[in-house]
Amino acid sequence: MNAYLELRQISKFFGSFVANDKIDLAVKKGTIHAIIGENGAGKSTLMNVLSGIYRPDEGDIFINGKAAHFQNPTAASRAGIGMVHQEFMLFPELSVLENIIMGYEQTRVPGIISKQKSRAAVDKICKQYNFNVPLDAKAGVLPVAMLQQVEIVKVLYHGADIIIFDEPTSVLTPQGIEGLFRAFRALTEKGKTIIFITHKLQEVLAVADAITVLKDGKVTFNTTPAETDEKELARMMVGRDVLLNAVKTERKPGETALSVENLTVLGENGEAKVKSARFSVRAGEIVGIAGIAGSGESELIAALFGLAPAASGSITLNGKHIEKLSPRERRCEGIGYIPQDRNAEGSNRTSPIWENCMMGYHVAHSSKNKIFIDRKDIYGFTNSVVSEYNVKTGSIFSNVSDLSGGNVQKMIVGREFMQDNKLLIIEDPTRGIDIGAIEFIWNKIEELAASGVAILMVSHELNEVMEVSDRILVMNSGKLYDAGKYGELTEEQIGVLMMGGQKE
Amino acid sequence: MLDTFFGSATLAAALRLSIPLIFAAIGGCFSDRAGVFNIALECFMLCAAFFAALGTFFTVNPYIGVLCGIVAGLVCSLIFGLFVFHLGSSAIVVSIAMNLSAWGLTTLLMMFFWGARGSFVSERLVSLPSVNIGILNELPVLGKILGGQNILVYIGIAAIFVMWFLMYKTPFGLRLRGVGMNQKAAQTIGINTLKYKWTANLITGALCGLGGAVLPIGGTSIFSENMTAGRGFLALAALLVAKDNPLTAGLFCILFAYTEALALGLQNIGIPSQLVETMPYLTTILVLVIAGIKQKLSQGHRRPKPAKAS
Amino acid sequence: MKKLPIQSKNFIYEAVKYLAALSAALLLGVLIIKLQGQDVAAAGKAVLFGAFGNISRLGNTIRWVTPCLMTGIAAAVSFRSGIWNMGIGGQLYMGAFAATAVALYIPLPQTVAPIVCLIAAGAAGMAFALIPALLKRFLGVSELITTLMFNYIATLLTTYFTKLVNGISANNNSKAMATPLIDDRYRLTTLIPKTNASTGIFIAIFFVVLMYLVYKYTIMGYEMRQVGSNIRFARAGGVRTNRMYLMIFLLSGFIAGLAGGIEILGVYGKFTANFASNIGWDGIMIATIAANSPIATGFVGILWGALKSGSLYMEALTETNRLTVEVIQAAFVLFVTIDYRGFINRLRENRNRNAAKAVKGA
Repeated sequence: MNAYLELRQISKFFGSFVANDKIDLAVKKGTIHAIIGENGAGKSTLMNVLSGIYRPDEGDIFINGKAAHFQNPTAASRAGIGMVHQEFMLFPELSVLENIIMGYEQTRVPGIISKQKSRAAVDKICKQYNFNVPLDAKAGVLPVAMLQQVEIVKVLYHGADIIIFDEPTSVLTPQGIEGLFRAFRALTEKGKTIIFITHKLQEVLAVADAITVLKDGKVTFNTTPAETDEKELARMMVGRDVLLNAVKTERKPGETALSVENLTVLGENGEAKVKSARFSVRAGEIVGIAGIAGSGESELIAALFGLAPAASGSITLNGKHIEKLSPRERRCEGIGYIPQDRNAEGSNRTSPIWENCMMGYHVAHSSKNKIFIDRKDIYGFTNSVVSEYNVKTGSIFSNVSDLSGGNVQKMIVGREFMQDNKLLIIEDPTRGIDIGAIEFIWNKIEELAASGVAILMVSHELNEVMEVSDRILVMNSGKLYDAGKYGELTEEQIGVLMMGGQKE
Repeated sequence: MLDTFFGSATLAAALRLSIPLIFAAIGGCFSDRAGVFNIALECFMLCAAFFAALGTFFTVNPYIGVLCGIVAGLVCSLIFGLFVFHLGSSAIVVSIAMNLSAWGLTTLLMMFFWGARGSFVSERLVSLPSVNIGILNELPVLGKILGGQNILVYIGIAAIFVMWFLMYKTPFGLRLRGVGMNQKAAQTIGINTLKYKWTANLITGALCGLGGAVLPIGGTSIFSENMTAGRGFLALAALLVAKDNPLTAGLFCILFAYTEALALGLQNIGIPSQLVETMPYLTTILVLVIAGIKQKLSQGHRRPKPAKAS
Repeated sequence: MKKLPIQSKNFIYEAVKYLAALSAALLLGVLIIKLQGQDVAAAGKAVLFGAFGNISRLGNTIRWVTPCLMTGIAAAVSFRSGIWNMGIGGQLYMGAFAATAVALYIPLPQTVAPIVCLIAAGAAGMAFALIPALLKRFLGVSELITTLMFNYIATLLTTYFTKLVNGISANNNSKAMATPLIDDRYRLTTLIPKTNASTGIFIAIFFVVLMYLVYKYTIMGYEMRQVGSNIRFARAGGVRTNRMYLMIFLLSGFIAGLAGGIEILGVYGKFTANFASNIGWDGIMIATIAANSPIATGFVGILWGALKSGSLYMEALTETNRLTVEVIQAAFVLFVTIDYRGFINRLRENRNRNAAKAVKGA
């Protein structure tokens, strides 16, 4: 049987960044085709190309052997491609029925929505595919599993034959995932084709008919569940051609610096994002937490630094309770923080470098003068950050927006590292910067640990966690799991843990 | 005493006073629904009021005056849309600048055409005639209130329902609400959001035009400097309280106009009108506070989001 | 072509932007005056003379510059930190009335009288800003809307209070009712005889300079700026953002209230209902043009005040109405808000896309 959907040599560039690099993909009708890859491997870009949100810079799309060019999402939708986005594209204040029919309303008299006709059409689809969605409820009050069903009914109502699911299981409970997979099978039985994007290997093996692995914007592997296993997939996903190495020195960790007991943190809708976390970091020790985005790692960090309240549990630094303190007070206690998002939280792009370096430093470590800006002190500090951390800039008075991403990151890292802190909380310290800068920052982390600073690092790059940490923790669905000491487990083994697999 | 509150004179005055508010508020509902924060209703109305008066003055035909009012409202919304949608200006700042220039501009034009300051009265400034709808006049109590009003009063009342229908029963209305609620989601299903915002903006302009036109030729036959005197903001209050529902907004406009009418009556029996007149604004704040409390109770904690650039 | 350093490029862009906006607004003004068949040169001359022509004209200009600076700085302080305080007008009314009430009812010795009145004015403005600030902080109610509504509440309330001062039964259905004159010892010293230029100008200059110094030299000013441009960054850096938010809102209200007090003590000597119809909005426009910088607010405030005083003189002397000047001012604001850079970029993008299309099509 020929491919129903075929992509030939699809490329998509963002500036000089190649998000998709000559991708070939063939999907058969009535199958579940999984596309897996790490964050940033180009999965979402590819799917946005397919659903008409982006236009490819090179290559062609064929549906049923016919070339298809989508100018916009409507064109893709007309060609029978529907997408269930990771972030649901719903209107919270509207009813489920209105959400489904939006843009594709049924009318009896032109210009007037016929609720009955629309409802009948939606009902028919629900019956046919065995969905049970409350059409009159407001979308905003429904649980996520139900919202996902609404999204599926919506794309079916739009007449989709090929349905793309972008990370659909990331928001679901195990039961919800089971329900989704039942829906997958029901859909394929009725002749629909499903493209399933994920990075959870077990799920892929459980439900997919075919698997394509993406890495760094390229297709690296095509296989089927029968021919492969978790280990091989994990290697294809995360394995690197050039693995970076950190220089690790012999260190003797000291007393316990940070100690976390039964810490629970709630998310936006009151659900537990971090569930009874318990761990400690000793002085001179680097503890790395590996976890996929959304596993509760950012909530954990927020609670540790005082940006989000802890629902229960205790946090102590060198024996002192700090769970009630504000970020300012925690800084004064000697905690430094490198946020994940360097533009939104780590820096102020419209301010000069010295004002950026001053932030935080002015609270905890600057001179005694708390009323006036001590320029001599601040400029001195900024200059040392700039020179020690090789921030490439003409002057400390240039705006941060004039720096490259890597230099901004070096500035932030330098700012936090050069203060005399006892504990550093670091999120993705090397995100989106070049290899030279990565190794530089890794070495700085090592140096700091050697000088007796306790370091807690969360990274979405598994390789980074494995190379830098003395001890590794894995976070999955709000829970922390022990993943041994440096070098104890292989990358595949940790990858399996991260994706919800069992430790062997 | 009872007459002050429920006398047909008070109620009829309330109805008359509510019409400009109703037009502006339901017009504003559409912009606000589309996610365009327009606080220039005052400007739209005032310009419309002037040009309605001017049109009437030159043609001695109030219907042409109404038309001129609508056109003036549309031109104002065109300027607003140009700056906000295409030139990247902040809607708030554009609104403020437009509100302030409207006062100056209409007064200048008033002096230019009529050589008058303060207010202008002329025989040529003909008001819309009363319309007698037989059945309405004969109603026992309502007849005195509803009967014998001018055509815009009836159009205003009808507009509440028509615009409500447009907002809630048509594909256009549904999509418009979608655009304001979640622009990204609307785009993923292929809705041209700019087109909907522009349409909403023009609806606002046209309806504010009607609302402004009522002021000089809806019975008073006078144009005076800054004739709207904050009515645009009162309409804004009504639509905010009504959460952009034209039906509710219309009702609040009538309520607000009623307090205005009442204030005049209460003055005569010694109750300070100013306190009664604060009611619309206090109501608005109260409703927002209640909504805030509700939201607070239904939500867990949020990490602070970056401040929205307006 | 030699590449310019980014800073001077920015400066040139800003300078061109302001010049373009100003010329466009002036052009519009010329058009308006011409359309009315009046003499543009005469009007211009009159405005200039009216603003700076002689010592008493200068005094009048100082009189108008004072509230422009005060409301301008009140707006700039809040906007700079991302707070949309639209209620400067309302806070000004409350302050003005508070100053009047203190002067009318509390006997004070000459030495402290004006100071107490001014403090009362500032406190009243602050109190009126407190409610929207708290509502925003604790319930997330948009301060933009609440302050807008509070403007009307303030004018109505102060009108009512004026009525109370005069006695309910007094004949006061006129919109322009006023309290009795306050005693001279409560008033600010007049700087230039026979004009309304008072020592209030020093208070205004003090606040402009103070805010400049605070922003430039103090930790607090640094934090206020950071809160305005990236509140998450500030919070992660240890700035007490909540406390900061309240403080800035109250400061803005205080300055606005003080502005009202100065109007009463320095100029009118009594509270008149609806006495300052647009001055709050003027402040917002001044701050917008000045991009919320205190020094720029100073310059724009002087320009605004000079235009006001000049236009009043022009109106008395020529046929041209002073409203022409107000229209020019509003147009200037409108043209300054245009995001020229974004607009040019979008044009370029479109042209590139069209070019790409043309290539593809061929």
